Amino acid sequence: MQAALPHPVLHPLRHVRARANRWFQNRITPRDSVTLTQRNVYILPTAPGFMLGLTLLVLLVASINYQLNLGYVLTFLLAGSAVVGMHICHGTLRGTTMTLIAPDAQFAGANVTIGVNLLSQRRTPRYGIGLAVLGTDHWSWTDVPAQGSAKVQIAFQPPRRGLHPVPALTAETRFPLGTFRVWTVWRPAAKVLVYPAPETHPPPLPPGEPRPGGAATVQRQSTGEFDGVRTYRRGDPLKLVVWKKAAKSDELVSRDAQQVQRFELWLDLAHTGIAGTGAGGTNLEQALSRLCAWVLQADKQGLQYGLRLGSQEIAPGSGEAHRKNCLQALAQV
Amino acid sequence: MLNNLKTLPREARDTLFLLTVIAWIIAPQVNNLPVWCSVMAAAILMWRAYLAVRGLALPSRWWLLGLLLLATVATYATHKSLMGRDPGVTYVVVLLTLKTLEMRTRRDAFVIFFLGFFTLLANFFFSQSLLTAMAMLLGLLGLLTALVNSHMPVGRPPLMQAARTAAWMALLGAPIMAVLFVLFPRIAPLWGVPGDAMAGRSGLSATMQVGTIASLALDDSVAMRIRFDGAAPPMSDMYFRGPVLSTFNGRDWVPLQSAFGPRSQLGADLQVQGKPVSYQVTLEANNRPWVLVLDATPGKPDLPDMRVTMTPDLQWIANRPVSDLIRYKAQSYTAFQHGPLRMVTGLQDYLALPANYNPRTQQLANDIRNDPRNAGADTPALVTVVLERLRTGGYTYTLEPGVFGTHTADEFWFDRKMGFCEHIASSFVLLMRSMGIPARLVTGYQGGAFNGVDDYWTVRQSDAHAWAEVWVAGQGWLRVDPTSAVSPGRTGSFVRLEAPRGVIATALNTISPRFTINLRALWDAANNGWNQWVLNYTQSRQLNLLRNIGFESPSWEDLSYLLIGLIVAASLVGAAWTLWERHRQDPWLRLLHRATRLLRRAGLELAENTPPRQMATLLQARGATLQPICDWLLRMEAWRYAPHARAPQLATLQREFRQLPWPHRIP
Repeated sequence: MQAALPHPVLHPLRHVRARANRWFQNRITPRDSVTLTQRNVYILPTAPGFMLGLTLLVLLVASINYQLNLGYVLTFLLAGSAVVGMHICHGTLRGTTMTLIAPDAQFAGANVTIGVNLLSQRRTPRYGIGLAVLGTDHWSWTDVPAQGSAKVQIAFQPPRRGLHPVPALTAETRFPLGTFRVWTVWRPAAKVLVYPAPETHPPPLPPGEPRPGGAATVQRQSTGEFDGVRTYRRGDPLKLVVWKKAAKSDELVSRDAQQVQRFELWLDLAHTGIAGTGAGGTNLEQALSRLCAWVLQADKQGLQYGLRLGSQEIAPGSGEAHRKNCLQALAQV
Repeated sequence: MLNNLKTLPREARDTLFLLTVIAWIIAPQVNNLPVWCSVMAAAILMWRAYLAVRGLALPSRWWLLGLLLLATVATYATHKSLMGRDPGVTYVVVLLTLKTLEMRTRRDAFVIFFLGFFTLLANFFFSQSLLTAMAMLLGLLGLLTALVNSHMPVGRPPLMQAARTAAWMALLGAPIMAVLFVLFPRIAPLWGVPGDAMAGRSGLSATMQVGTIASLALDDSVAMRIRFDGAAPPMSDMYFRGPVLSTFNGRDWVPLQSAFGPRSQLGADLQVQGKPVSYQVTLEANNRPWVLVLDATPGKPDLPDMRVTMTPDLQWIANRPVSDLIRYKAQSYTAFQHGPLRMVTGLQDYLALPANYNPRTQQLANDIRNDPRNAGADTPALVTVVLERLRTGGYTYTLEPGVFGTHTADEFWFDRKMGFCEHIASSFVLLMRSMGIPARLVTGYQGGAFNGVDDYWTVRQSDAHAWAEVWVAGQGWLRVDPTSAVSPGRTGSFVRLEAPRGVIATALNTISPRFTINLRALWDAANNGWNQWVLNYTQSRQLNLLRNIGFESPSWEDLSYLLIGLIVAASLVGAAWTLWERHRQDPWLRLLHRATRLLRRAGLELAENTPPRQMATLLQARGATLQPICDWLLRMEAWRYAPHARAPQLATLQREFRQLPWPHRIP
């Protein structure tokens, strides 16, 4: 997913630059692990680098004008050190292997943490390597120990729900003198799933639908409250145990969910109480947010629930895997 | 205090370190800075250190602006200018220290580093000695360490780590420095050097007021170094001729101010005898046009880029002051004759005496002349009589003769009876003139110390000497050293009156007199090597080097070509190295790839990066003959992923690889 280009007439320069960047990034093959070599590590002098150059020039002129042989020694030693510094700077990044740790799915609006493992085969440590999402300025700095690895976490905020590619990352170092900037651009292949943001104050869960062939005919409002308790039976989910009572007596007591189980809880995109949720409907996102909140709520209460998104239907169930299924379905509508 | 340092927050620690480095760089030039500047720098550095330790906020920009304005005014008031070397140095020091109060962003830090490099260079205006160089190398390493440290953003890395990186950079940068230093064309100053470039260096003086050389005798710095191309002449012949002082006004001896026209002036009339002494002189900068050579040197000293001429009184003068270390060759004859052989008008100048000075000396002269024992004595006989008086009259040679009054010769001959060579020589010349014998004063250096480490003779400022020349009919000017009559040890051996030593030096000398002498000899040799190879590396030596390499008639363009050629060669080597490095692999992987290639050639379907275990499983299914290869692969896997893979195991695997029965065809 790429941001729109700036307008070619209003911002011609920015447009050209963005185009060039896009072309450059598209050249890079997405990979989840990349070893930096001469080919993908770039180097340019920084502003202080040019300042050092100017300093060297002034030192040289002073040495010439005052015929200071020791001045020449100083100037050339500094120049030599700067040249060596350039190589050290390039070597800091070259030869590092960066591996992406697949990011977990996240709700829209929250930060996704991308973990990157930096591996170094070198016998000396690599200092001052920074990673950031390309185009941002939030650097995470790390040192990579000799023949070891370091883990860096970078946060980024996906624009909206859905399946997003992990954004292009950049690694940079200015070690040791800050006179050169050595960097690389890396496009990970992994994608990150973004669930809809759950609604903050959702209405209560919808009423259950009677089970086909169920005994009860009375529609009951599910309030999320439980009607009664009974003694614990093997196989009761731990979520149903009333721990407060258990603390008072030696007996384990479970909530009686029988009542609820006579009904099936269906979370339906068509019945969220929000109009205009059809395909391309303007309130689709809002409805998905509500469904997301409901899924979380139902899961918390240990209820059985099913999800219906137009033609797509997930049979009622409960548990971690079921919740994940439902959220994934919501993310990819 | 050390404990406190360890618990300081990183920022405070880094600041303190940088402040220490800055103080280290500024400290050697405190003597050359105006007092206000040194005081201000010290105060600001301490203030900044206090703020860092206490974690207080930096002062506002208004403070800085005010201080800067004050410093600018003070600089102008001190130097009467803001341009030139000295105001520049003062100003850079002020800016550097003030900038430490404004260390907010990364850019500010960089400004400090770059100002620091300028301040480093400023040290060399005042001294380029080996000691200064070593101190400033340390300063440079300090600045680099601080710079490296500021680019280690993670945690609180120990300063030693940054120092190691800095030292490593300097070490690897040294060859680059050496090549650039040797080959970078030495060109003339791009624009005129301000006249203050040589202020504050001591040496012989163009005029002599009694007492001047006594202070020089305490100065142990080196005046020049000599290397003889063969045997050195005896020490008693080692007179290096400086300015000849022939006119006395009662207080000062100055070069000849003749009462006669140019046509009456004496010529050199130098005639030399015997075999010449060839030698090489490395003369320290003295900011005078004097080219010091042995008495007497008829031929021009071989100086590459100076014009030298000989004065009628045998001194060699260059067309410009010696503002830098120079090296030249000369040939001298210790046996020579010079000056007119008969009495001429010009000699009257050497009889002139100021009126109303030294009446008792005049009386002494008359007494000697009228002494019946000296009746009909010629000049050499009279000189002998006076020298005899010096030898036996209770006269002593001392470094501390005290302050003399108006009649310096009278005081020497009658009252104090002691003095340093200039008192003795001056009194001697005045007595001679009073007796009607033309005489003059010669200053220069006498003797030197031989250093067995590098075969150089070192002549120090403490070897500065004054002697006399008297004119004898038929022989011209003859050298008479009255000091040797008073103190024979002053000339002819290497015993010198030495300045009082410190307590430690005295103790050391009592324990082992050779120790200090050896130590000094080594130090002198090191210093001399420094002068010869670093400070005196001029364009002529550069071109000589090219000539030695094989250039026919080298010019500085050739230097540039050579430099560019070397840079290109170095880049090519670098490119080749990176190419090689790209193809370099882990030796374990390389071995595995060789095995993979062999098996694929034999017809086994394998991916390029099949792991050894998988290969072993595939092979196992193909028959028992391949079992050794399977075992080898499994061993490789076991050893490779053992907690500590070791080189000997790799070597074993490589040996086995060669011995394994690799199949030609796998069914």
